[in-house]
Amino acid sequence: MSLFLFVLRRFGRGLLTIWFAVTVTFLMLRLLPGDPALAIASPNMTPEIRAGLLTQYGLDEPLPVQYVKYLGQLLRGNLGVSFSQGVDVTDALMAQLPWTLLLVGAALVVTVILGIPLGVLAAAKAGGVLDRVVQIVAVTGQSLFVPSVGILLLYVFGLQLGWFPIGGAYTDGTYGGEWYLSVVAHLVLPCLSLVLVQLGAYVLTVRSTLIEALGEDYVTLARANGLPHRRVLWKHALRNALLPTTTLIGLQICLYLVGGVILIETVYAYPGIGRGIYDAVVRLDFPVLQGAFLLLAVVVVVVNMITDIVYGLLDPRVKAS
Amino acid sequence: MPRPRLVAALAATVTIALLPACAPSAPGAAGGGKQVTDPTLTIATTTDVVNYNPLIGNSRSDYWITNLMYPHLLSIGPDGEKAPELARKWGYVDDTTGYYEIQPGMKWSDGQPLTAKDVAFTLNAVKRDAPAGTFYGQLTNFASATAVSDTRVEVTLTQPDSSLIPEIGFWGNVVPQHVFEPAGSVAKFANDGTTAGTTAEWVSAGPYVLKTVQRGQSYTLERVADYPLVEGGKPKAAEIVYRVFPDVNTEILALKNGDVDVIANTLPPAQVKGLRGTAGITVEEVPGLGYSHMTYNMNQPDLAKLQVRQALAQTVDYDAVRRVVLQGQAVSTGSSPLMPVLKDFYDKTSKEYSYDPEAARELLTEAGYQADGSGSFPLSFRLIYSLQDPVTTQWATLVKDGAAKAGVAIELQGLERNTYLAKTDAGDFDIYAGNFAIMDDPATNMALTYLPDGAINYSYVDDPELTSLIQRARVTFEREDQVPILREAAKKVRDEVYDNVMYTQNLYVAHRSEWSGFTVKPSELLSIVNPISLASATKAE
Repeated sequence: MSLFLFVLRRFGRGLLTIWFAVTVTFLMLRLLPGDPALAIASPNMTPEIRAGLLTQYGLDEPLPVQYVKYLGQLLRGNLGVSFSQGVDVTDALMAQLPWTLLLVGAALVVTVILGIPLGVLAAAKAGGVLDRVVQIVAVTGQSLFVPSVGILLLYVFGLQLGWFPIGGAYTDGTYGGEWYLSVVAHLVLPCLSLVLVQLGAYVLTVRSTLIEALGEDYVTLARANGLPHRRVLWKHALRNALLPTTTLIGLQICLYLVGGVILIETVYAYPGIGRGIYDAVVRLDFPVLQGAFLLLAVVVVVVNMITDIVYGLLDPRVKAS
Repeated sequence: MPRPRLVAALAATVTIALLPACAPSAPGAAGGGKQVTDPTLTIATTTDVVNYNPLIGNSRSDYWITNLMYPHLLSIGPDGEKAPELARKWGYVDDTTGYYEIQPGMKWSDGQPLTAKDVAFTLNAVKRDAPAGTFYGQLTNFASATAVSDTRVEVTLTQPDSSLIPEIGFWGNVVPQHVFEPAGSVAKFANDGTTAGTTAEWVSAGPYVLKTVQRGQSYTLERVADYPLVEGGKPKAAEIVYRVFPDVNTEILALKNGDVDVIANTLPPAQVKGLRGTAGITVEEVPGLGYSHMTYNMNQPDLAKLQVRQALAQTVDYDAVRRVVLQGQAVSTGSSPLMPVLKDFYDKTSKEYSYDPEAARELLTEAGYQADGSGSFPLSFRLIYSLQDPVTTQWATLVKDGAAKAGVAIELQGLERNTYLAKTDAGDFDIYAGNFAIMDDPATNMALTYLPDGAINYSYVDDPELTSLIQRARVTFEREDQVPILREAAKKVRDEVYDNVMYTQNLYVAHRSEWSGFTVKPSELLSIVNPISLASATKAE
């Protein structure tokens, strides 16, 4: 199948997935107990005020009518207006999304850059002391509770050592180059927190797939042909070992984008989409939640599509099939 | 505003920056007694502002920030009594006419005078447009307001109500007529600093005016040079920055590091002791104006029986709750709904229910219930509470254990907040456990809590005698006449166990020690972040 057709089919499937996610989110929110009118008004509001709020946001209409109107809005690119803030959902999310992408992207790059070599090192010295240490550290990292890691890092590197700022995405009142530097300074600890909990998965995946690859016939042949060990390891065996890692990268992006960043952004007071989702859940802000989940569904679909394409590029067998 | 495109570009081309970048250094510790000139006061809060319209907003951050711009007519003193703020005098001309005399010479930050017309406009507009905030709920017996001079507003009531004038004075913000009126309905006016395609600034008559919003990060307010309500006429801090930290642990680290100077929200009980012993940090005690309680749903046949309610009240170890869960940071009200901080009203003779599971058993037996061989009565109740309230979550377990000792089964149902509110609203519980944060006016609060049509009557009590007492109190204008009526009503609530008031919690807030001059007022809404307090605070070098 040509790449074009492949992409087209995946795109179609992606649209279906997004529609499904949108519909489930829409229904789930409206089936939840709780009164969204309470989220934006005093619990002592009169029945008239409550009725007025429900009418204002279309919540008093039959469910199918609300659904059709919502789909119509989506097709026009309108994600609605936040119940609690009274602002366009698109504006609210677009202000938050870049911070989350920055955080998740930075953590991903660091994790991959550290995880792959550590996995290779562990595989190359399989059974040795170094391998055992790397495994222990990796498993421990996976077991860590993200908010606890966050507070610990803030305590040590923020409060005790004073190396990094505590909370926020940048330092108020800075501009130009100073602003960029402050963004980097504020990014280090939340990024490190994500790296610590993600790293283990990469290390262990690369290690186990590389050990398996090193036992294959083609590796034996390469060695028999006199190729240097380093070349056999990094060029021949690792390429095959990276295939599952590619899938892992895609999965981790989705996992942390959808759920993991909520905790990190809360602890670090990072103004990303995770925090926006948390606030919207507390306030039963349907439009923001619908918009956020739509956005995340789109990102997940796109990431999975890219993962499949990259996988196909890396593995000629997949491309041929 | 954050620069999303630049940030997105940075994300796409991010390189590893593991070098410790420039971190802001902590401010120096308190030095000598000299004051810093025009300092910036940074305050931590846990949530963003949701509404900039003070007539609609009802979250803590909304309140704290809009309070700095839109004055109240009345404040509250350390003794719980209403105190002057914008209004110097207030009261009643007759049973259905009230008045406020406001400070002369007040101005909005755009130079327009703040007069009685703004006050009258605010009150009439809220009544007309019914915005969804707390203010509207205070206007039940309000008919209209008229500015009879530049400094005097007269309020016409639909019926006698001794609480109306102090309550709307305390709860309501005064907004600028020249800004809010052109917007049409005050219930729909966002007041977010923009006006119909133009960018307009906020207008303030408080000590500070909002200048910059970095949503998710910070809110910066600048000093209004002329603020007659503070000593000297000029706020001391040149700037106030509210920074958002959703996690209270991070807030505390930021305070210790000097990144913030004050934490606006009250501290969890477990953090108070630790912070008290931290160098450079001062912890202030703020009297509580609310209480934590359980109500027994009298629509449930077993709970409709007085002996059952009395028995349940005696299965709670109140002292253990205050000592263990609240770490000694709460006081008993004597099981009375009158708060100790309201010294005129509080009845010291009110005795707290005793913790006596054996006596509870006797009461249940007298009520006709038979315990089985294991000592259990055929009584089982469902207690709801909010999982987002960690203190109630802890003492709910103690309540269950205490009831078990008396042979009564309590099923704990911790709920997500919105579900909890929905079930509370629907009366879908046997026992409700929760808090009322601000019970500043006994007559109003009892009307809401114990009248049959009261908005927060979670016991579903309908006692004609109690109703009569409360209604009498609401039309009694002299304090010395009103107090005995309310004490009698409170005694009835206590004796009939219409409300099991567990404790009133003393609240604690923390600030950096180099700052001083804060004025503590009761309740978390005011504490040390009330306008006069923030305008008066100074920083030592």
